[in-house]
Amino acid sequence: MQGAGGGFFDAMRRIAGFLAALAVLSFPAGAASTDEPLEADRAFRPSARLVAEAAASGRHGIDIEYRIEPGYYLYRDRVRFDVLPATLPIASPEFPKGQEIDDPFLGKSVIYRDRVVIHLPFMASSVNPGRYRVRITAQGCAEDRLCYAPFVQELPLTIPAGYRAADATTRPLPPGLGR
Amino acid sequence: MRAWIPFAGVGVVAALAGLSLWLAGSTNLPPPPKAGPVEATSAAIMASKFVDLDGNSRVLGQLTGKVIVVNFWATWCTPCVEEMPGFARLQSRWEAKGVRFVGLANDDPEKVRAFGQRLAINYPLWTGEAAVMDLSRRLGNRIGVLPHTVLLDGDGKVIESRIGIYAEDKLDARLADILS
Repeated sequence: MQGAGGGFFDAMRRIAGFLAALAVLSFPAGAASTDEPLEADRAFRPSARLVAEAAASGRHGIDIEYRIEPGYYLYRDRVRFDVLPATLPIASPEFPKGQEIDDPFLGKSVIYRDRVVIHLPFMASSVNPGRYRVRITAQGCAEDRLCYAPFVQELPLTIPAGYRAADATTRPLPPGLGR
Repeated sequence: MRAWIPFAGVGVVAALAGLSLWLAGSTNLPPPPKAGPVEATSAAIMASKFVDLDGNSRVLGQLTGKVIVVNFWATWCTPCVEEMPGFARLQSRWEAKGVRFVGLANDDPEKVRAFGQRLAINYPLWTGEAAVMDLSRRLGNRIGVLPHTVLLDGDGKVIESRIGIYAEDKLDARLADILS
């Protein structure tokens, strides 16, 4: 059985523990390594997926998915795609609706945060199998801190033999896709 | 006697908590990211070529002064554009003491000119293509971000290389320290 003195000391220990935790949590932000901005390849992580949907939709091409770290954003109108070699022509990218921002200096821009999938449609219904590279030139920023000069990222893309755009539903990711 | 030990412990921890809260409160902004090593010689820095807004070829060595503040920026970079009016004020304040600012952008010269006029920038704005970010990287900008500001002495020796926003009051204090 604990006496009145034991309860008092226990309460003091709890208060001391709480204050110690507070001291650790409130230590100046400068001590945290998270203040270092990420390299572009870590802040903006793209992957590629080959898609071939039903012939009726005619939607076939490459989906580029960007995973964007919290606190970072990508500019929609400053992303450019090239597929190399150019024997695999793609039409204009299909961008999803993003977040519109209105900057007093820069005017309106559309940005993406967290995750975005951009579709690159093939221009022809049949494409040559082979190994390709999707070269992405992009620009983005870390919120209120800094922006990345145009950076280039490349993704390998393999189109397997026998691939046809009208092949039923979305194909699984062929080996060699992604980073 | 033993009854006072917990009080003393609580007091020490509370003092530590209070100190760290005070320190945290005095830090309004996170510290700037660390710049990487400088890989360019003073001679190479001063010989770096750019183009002014009239189309004339320029080198950094043409800027004579005790301190040259080289600011790498772009018209699409919000943090860059936000800090530039402060740089213009510092240029006015420190010009007589031999401070020369210059803005370097890998950007469309017409856009640069329009921004310069809109923001009332009173220091030269030069452009260059790959040379801009190439010099920035060699001056410690290891991850290729903007803004990036480098303080050089009159001979092109790097005094400081700072990634991210350089707050006007901090740069003002730094210039005062260098020129004192």
